[in-house]
Amino acid sequence: MDLATEESPGDARRAAVPVRRHPGTPDTPYGPSLSVVVTTVASDAHTWNLVFLQLVLEELGHRVVNLGACVPDELLVAQCLGTRPDLVVVSSVNGHGFHDGLRLIGRIRACPELADTRVVIGGKLGINGVGGRECRDQLRAAGFDAIFEEGTGILEFRSFAKQLTMSVST
Amino acid sequence: MSAAAGSTRSFGEFVARAHRAGELVVQPRMGVSSPKAMRDGLLATKQANATTVGTITLDSYTRMGDDETARAALASGADLNGYPIVAHDVATTRAVLDGVAGADFPVQVRHGSPCPEDIFRALMAAGMHATEGGPASYCLPYSRTPLCTSIQHWVRSCALLARLRETGIEPHLETFGGCMLGQLCPPSLLIALSVLECLFFRQHGLRSVSLSYAQQTNADQDREAVRALHRLAAERLPDVDSHVVIYAYMGVYPRTSDGAARLLTEAARLAVQGGAARLIVKTAAEAYRIPTFAENVEALETAAAAAAAERRAPLVGEVEDTGIYAEAKALVDAVVDLDPDLGTALATAFRSGYLDIPYCLHPDNAGRTRSYLDGTGWLRWSRLGSLPIGHLVRPTGSTELTATGLLASLSYVEHKFDDASLDEYLKGARPMAQIHDTGTARRPLPGSPGEHLSSPVTRTVLTIQHRILTAARDFLCGQGFIELLAPLIGPVTDPGARGAKQVDVDYYGHRYKLMTSAILYKQASLTAFEKIFFIAPCVRLEPLETASTSRHLAEFHQIDVEVAGASREHIMELAEQLVGHVVQEVLAHPRGALERLGRDPSVFADLLTQSFERRSHADAVSDLRAMGHPQNPDAEIDWAGEAILSRKASKPFFITDYPKGSRGFYDRESLDRPGYLRNFDLIAPEGYGELASGSEREHDYGTIIARIRETGENPAKYGWYLQMVRDGIPASAGFGIGLERLTRYLAGLDSVWQASAYPKIPGVVAP
Ligand code: B12
Repeated sequence: MDLATEESPGDARRAAVPVRRHPGTPDTPYGPSLSVVVTTVASDAHTWNLVFLQLVLEELGHRVVNLGACVPDELLVAQCLGTRPDLVVVSSVNGHGFHDGLRLIGRIRACPELADTRVVIGGKLGINGVGGRECRDQLRAAGFDAIFEEGTGILEFRSFAKQLTMSVST
Repeated sequence: MSAAAGSTRSFGEFVARAHRAGELVVQPRMGVSSPKAMRDGLLATKQANATTVGTITLDSYTRMGDDETARAALASGADLNGYPIVAHDVATTRAVLDGVAGADFPVQVRHGSPCPEDIFRALMAAGMHATEGGPASYCLPYSRTPLCTSIQHWVRSCALLARLRETGIEPHLETFGGCMLGQLCPPSLLIALSVLECLFFRQHGLRSVSLSYAQQTNADQDREAVRALHRLAAERLPDVDSHVVIYAYMGVYPRTSDGAARLLTEAARLAVQGGAARLIVKTAAEAYRIPTFAENVEALETAAAAAAAERRAPLVGEVEDTGIYAEAKALVDAVVDLDPDLGTALATAFRSGYLDIPYCLHPDNAGRTRSYLDGTGWLRWSRLGSLPIGHLVRPTGSTELTATGLLASLSYVEHKFDDASLDEYLKGARPMAQIHDTGTARRPLPGSPGEHLSSPVTRTVLTIQHRILTAARDFLCGQGFIELLAPLIGPVTDPGARGAKQVDVDYYGHRYKLMTSAILYKQASLTAFEKIFFIAPCVRLEPLETASTSRHLAEFHQIDVEVAGASREHIMELAEQLVGHVVQEVLAHPRGALERLGRDPSVFADLLTQSFERRSHADAVSDLRAMGHPQNPDAEIDWAGEAILSRKASKPFFITDYPKGSRGFYDRESLDRPGYLRNFDLIAPEGYGELASGSEREHDYGTIIARIRETGENPAKYGWYLQMVRDGIPASAGFGIGLERLTRYLAGLDSVWQASAYPKIPGVVAP
């Protein structure tokens, strides 16, 4: 992972530039690499989680655009419409993830072009750390494809990404 | 509350007085959305047994200027992660403070906002005059707002706050520069930012400031850093009221309450040793969730006591100069030389990479520096980018960045302090209760049934479990065993399930039980066949406390094996072979299932090549006692003891010869060693704990009656069983392996519920 290259400071802007799939893209052992957007909700400033998830995904062979802290809903929707990622990973740990996540997924699913885009959310979604089962059910009903609350572990996420890779290749 | 109380209208003056009186001011991080609760929190802080100042921490919506969302959340009754000072009106906030805040108890507003004018107006309107931030430190770690925008806002906001001086109040502003992202920023850069932002505050009219420094990863490095900060502050800010404030560790926090308290204690010692006047604490809940007021008060009192102890017995010894001061000074000098206007200087410095925070994703951070922890936890530079300190530091270490490597650095402190408390426990100095995970009770439960069943992890685990079952059946059938189906209900069941409640069933007016285990039927079945097994469902209403142990289910299954005429040694051998066979099969098919779960198959190398160790209960007790664990020699190995032994092992092992009284009446007493049973437990390694229990069985009628009476039970209940015993059942030995526990161990799962399709966690309503 390159948080920034020597040539281009101001990296998060560069990172927001669309990444296109091209024939030379190396595949993962399970299928073609996915284009993934790693992001957080509008009110959340935490970024270590984003850096970590970017590394996890890149190590699985995927291509990641990391949108950084406090991503407004409109910015994420525009990014998705512009680049049509295979997977959007929303991470939030500040305790507002449940709330902001519900609003965000509504905006994403309101775009017909993004109705089928895989979108997952995870982290510490409530101010008690985890939001609980009811919150997860609501998030799922609102349109998230999977919810990874802290404690479910990164294991589950890795296997989700692998499954998605395999399904994309068939 | 404060011994340094006095009439003062300045936060800085309050802290200075306490400092002169030899008291460290301690302060929480605290903010909740409800005004009533916020007031209670301030009162709790004020009444704590320590010299305290109060905190109102603001929520993330208010920080982002999104007061609409904050209002909507308040209206809907949703809890926020802080106090929405702008969304609440002035009168509400005044009521929160009324009679609580005052000269003897100043209250500071902590936020994290790059554009804080509205927040400043709100806090001033409510009568407060101390807050926190900085043009860079409340921008880069907290937002994607352009740095130049933040600087402009902070220029205006400082001016707003400074205007309070015209009313006779001395406003106070603390920089967050000594923290930034909380982790992996080498001290020299933190010190430089702290000093530069305070210079900025002074340039914009403030005369009372505090310089922050967040505890990092090595105590010696921190001591040197705080000394350097004081020295630079004295040189650069001689003409303003200033003090140094220490933040207890701002990165990934220990998960045990004992580890958290130790880390906080170290922060308090750092504050005293470094001559800081104030300390902001963290609580035992930090790693999990927003703390309660009680947890905050506990942290304040722990810190105050640690500071007092440190003052009584100060640590002596030189603080070595490894060059932190020189580095920090070089950074400050280079930046102030860029422009006489400090805002412009800061903007230019970040643009040119003179200031560059490692791992910061903000668009205006150059992102060319890297740092790492060396073997002693000392924070070092591995890449300097354009930092103007190339003449002072030679970067070392590798710049390669991996997910595991990053997590290891971020968790260095967490592990160091959690491991230390475990060691302490092993030495017997701490009761286990203090070491429990603060957050275990909050560990997530399975999702909805659909969610749980369709999860790829559950599916992989259940595939492995299927393999375990087929392998066990193949193995046992290959040895001539007959599989029987175990009954679900009966007039009595196994009384040996300690602490668990049995479930009654109304059977045509008779009180029947759901089976807690199939033991009585196993013995009875031997009158039909010599070698039998069940895959038996068991229901035990385990106590509620076991919900968070990761290893209890109220409904589970046992691979229950019984052999007529067998000795304990024979049956242990069989259990060992069975486990070995199952592991081999699971490793072979479905290929890659374990790897998909992140379970490294090489952990089973010892299990597959070496025979399982056998040690007696008495030896296990003396091993534990030698390690300082107060194991009762006459009882079961308690779970903490079991965890210790399990963690030290590399393959499963047997514990044999439990003292009589610790087990059910059916475990046969030794003839050579009265008082000891011919039984055993099989314990998994790596902390997974007990997998199986077994024994030679008692089959003599008179002895069984006596044993039942010894355990305080009424033999009459066991009518059908005793009748069979009297008519004659064969001598036997057998064992039961917990299927879900075996699955958990093989798959390397955090919790046993992950090994069940329809998990029943004690006390949790589930399908
Ligand atoms: C560092 C830190 C900060 C830094 C962040 C700097 C930065 N730009 O990143 C600073 C000091 C600025 C900060 C600020 C705040 N913080 Co903070 N912070 C932390 C801290 C100490 C460590 C977080 C961290 O770096 N973790 C390391 C990363 C790698 O792990 P992680 O984020 O925990 O994520 C892991 C898992 O959750 C999982 N995961 C996360 N997301 C996802 C997503 C998917 C899809 C998957 C599969 C997995 C996954 O993967 C990670 C690795 O296991 C935690 C407490 C702790 N853990 O000790 C509090 C904490 C997260 N912060 C918290 C809060 C509330 C805040 C504030 C709102 C202030 C406040 N009111 O107290 C502000 C944020 C303002 C805002 N606008 O959001 C709370 C959240 C409470 C909750 N959710 O219940 C915590 C838990 C502290 C606490 N106990 O109160 N914080």
